[in-house]
Amino acid sequence: MNTEELMESLKTIVKPYIKSEEGFKNMTADSDFLNDLKINSANLIDVILDIENEFDIVIDNTSMEKMLTVGSAIEIITTKLGEK
Amino acid sequence: MTGNDIVDLATASAGSNWKRRGFLEKLFTPQEQQYIHTAALPEEMVWKLWSMKESTYKIYTRQYGGRFFAPLKFNCTIVDESNGTVNINNIVYQTTSFLTENYIYSTAKPVAVKDTCISNHCFRIPDLQQINQQEFIYKKLITCYTEMTQVEKTGLLIIKNEAAVPFLYCEKDKSTIPVSITHHGNYAGFTIN
Repeated sequence: MNTEELMESLKTIVKPYIKSEEGFKNMTADSDFLNDLKINSANLIDVILDIENEFDIVIDNTSMEKMLTVGSAIEIITTKLGEK
Repeated sequence: MTGNDIVDLATASAGSNWKRRGFLEKLFTPQEQQYIHTAALPEEMVWKLWSMKESTYKIYTRQYGGRFFAPLKFNCTIVDESNGTVNINNIVYQTTSFLTENYIYSTAKPVAVKDTCISNHCFRIPDLQQINQQEFIYKKLITCYTEMTQVEKTGLLIIKNEAAVPFLYCEKDKSTIPVSITHHGNYAGFTIN
């Protein structure tokens, strides 16, 4: 799966949790889940669990620590998929 | 210095399914999960522990910088109904939680530092667009500060540093005052230091 496809999957995953339509419309790799997309921090766990389910991967605590932007999520998913 | 966090219980209930597989394990240590499973009201305990972690995160990152998402690094201990401690990297914070049927409001302060909090409020906010709700909270904070200190309202504004940590900024003498602001659903709170 390339970065573009990953980005599309991520958009579908985050959509139910975003509180900023504006931030979602302009979502890029630099977008911050909390500050730009205004996702509630408790819902960040839902995003992570949804990513785990969607890609059938496990996001360990060390990876989760960096899960603050769309770009870092894409990086982590790519790494985890590569390890499969 | 103080960090704070509020959870609107109705919003939390509608927005998060804490019974979802994997949810508790990613957020809470085995000891905290034990608190939840043995609580009379497990859902209330979920959000109380969460607000203890969040309020501590705010003050910890204000003190030491950085941004990260590591809920399991914040180890909560419940002392009694309203008091608790949170330990992160062997730094201990004292937390106070205020529970009503509508919200849980927690504040956290480092045990080792003298408390400098001069004002601590939580309140209901009107049903407005997100941007207007923020304006409402900022205005309330500034009004509270001016009433306490008798300084003029003009030239006071809320600014955030690059890590999104908020300060009350006074244009006149270019001073900054640490503030902590929390907003969830229809409830909000702030502390001024």
